[in-house]
Amino acid sequence: MKDSLRRTLWISRVTFLEAVRQRFFAFLLVLSAAMVLSSVSLRVFDFGHGELKFIADFGFGGMFFFGSVLAVVMTAQLFFSEIDNKTALTLLAKPLSRPEFLLGKFFGAWAVLGVFVLVLAGLQGVVLWAREQELVAAAEQAGRIPTTFSIVGLCQLVLLQWLRLGVVIAIVLAISSLARTFLFTVVVGSLAVVAGQLQWIAQDAFLRPTDSPVYTAFLWVSTRLIPNLQQFNLADALVLGSAVVEEGALISVGFSGLAYLVAYLTLGSLIFRRREI
Amino acid sequence: MNYAISVRHLTKDFRIGIRGLKLRAVDDLSLEIPRGQVYGLLGPNGCGKSTTLKVVLGLVSATAGEISILGEPSATSAARRRTGFLPEAPYFHKFLTGRELVRYCAQLSGVAASELDAAVEDALGLAAMNEAAGRPIGTYSKGMLQRIGFAQAVVHDPELIILDEPTAGVDPVGSASIGRMIHAMRDKGKTVVLCSHLLGQVEQVCDRVAIMDRGKLVLEGAVEDVLSRRDRHVMTIEAMTPTARAAAEAALEAHGAKITSVTHPRRSLEDLFRELVTGSRDA
Repeated sequence: MKDSLRRTLWISRVTFLEAVRQRFFAFLLVLSAAMVLSSVSLRVFDFGHGELKFIADFGFGGMFFFGSVLAVVMTAQLFFSEIDNKTALTLLAKPLSRPEFLLGKFFGAWAVLGVFVLVLAGLQGVVLWAREQELVAAAEQAGRIPTTFSIVGLCQLVLLQWLRLGVVIAIVLAISSLARTFLFTVVVGSLAVVAGQLQWIAQDAFLRPTDSPVYTAFLWVSTRLIPNLQQFNLADALVLGSAVVEEGALISVGFSGLAYLVAYLTLGSLIFRRREI
Repeated sequence: MNYAISVRHLTKDFRIGIRGLKLRAVDDLSLEIPRGQVYGLLGPNGCGKSTTLKVVLGLVSATAGEISILGEPSATSAARRRTGFLPEAPYFHKFLTGRELVRYCAQLSGVAASELDAAVEDALGLAAMNEAAGRPIGTYSKGMLQRIGFAQAVVHDPELIILDEPTAGVDPVGSASIGRMIHAMRDKGKTVVLCSHLLGQVEQVCDRVAIMDRGKLVLEGAVEDVLSRRDRHVMTIEAMTPTARAAAEAALEAHGAKITSVTHPRRSLEDLFRELVTGSRDA
């Protein structure tokens, strides 16, 4: 068990190094950071909402979108570079099991996305804090109640987003273990993310009574197979306090994410075990 | 006898296309590779050599047959711990240095932390890669890639080393260097399985050979036995004059023997090349 963990760790370490050296990662990180920073100068377009809400929506939107792109494309690339370049042949001829290889890839990619989320959330925190100071001073002068944001909520959101991206990576790895090409994996992985974002529609439809058992069965399978990625988007509630989020709800979202993550990694490992390299 | 590799009735079919047409890559192959020898697996491209090695290493599953490595069922972690593998046209992570790659492979192969540094330096030394080990792999020549590949294959001191086309695309100097590494492994009592279609090199380094064609084994035996023609003899004579030749022919005919050809001995183009180009270009 100890040896197995070590081997997984070494694979993830090299995967992490490979990923952070890619220009694609640097490009998306810079682009997302620019989006977070530009939210300050674009706040005049707040459409009547609070400034902090606009800044948070804009910045977190960039984090969600570019994080998903990174999770799909980078994971597929990291997997297929090993298969196409045949480095997987060298590694899998060693006493390294295929689940260890896949888990190593997962943890390496997840660590990269951890860095991505942490850097952007840190920037977002600084931007929100700086604007909050100005708004508090202005509100005190005007005798109004100032708008604030929650640091604790921001930390909780970082964890939720990281978990959400972990689920996406696990789905992409499960697809990669079956797929033959990088392009197929990226297309199907992207569709899976879109389906995850829209899963709540299927969930709503499932709760409505229908006459068709086939339709009901389809909805039941869809709502179990596809994770609801929208449930992780609690930026407004957690960071700006627009709604009360009970601790139980957060734990439930966390467990649901972990369950999907484990399920897709297990599925990927089972498929990859039988794959001929 | 406990063989390094024992393959019994191995068959491997690949399914091609949507209709699942069957392509038989290896057809009822049985092989037993003795320990402590350099064994050449020969054959033209597509004859099933690499597939056989992949099945032996558990990278591809067998359709039928039994395989064991060093007495253990093949594809088990225990068997692979005692095996080193250099794939054909190896490609490694370009951003790692040679030393980092060998260290990474040693860690994956289960080398203890206390022995890691020594094992890595020994393997780099054996492959003559000490000096270049600090450079990123992306800067290596083809010959250096093969040598660092050899180092990663032997870093955990395996009993069995499998080399798939180790000299493909490598110049004669690099090829000779790999030949020396193979000999060094044999001197240490290791079993080396060499898969190649460069027959000259195989003849020089191998003790036994097997020749495959269209997935089947067509010949197997010791190199000496396979290549020798026991009914023919070669003599190399210095300063032979026409008179001496006539006398020799007469003497041989008196004993019922006959000279069928007289030629001048030639050295191989490879030997000549190696003599002229002393290879330190890769170091």
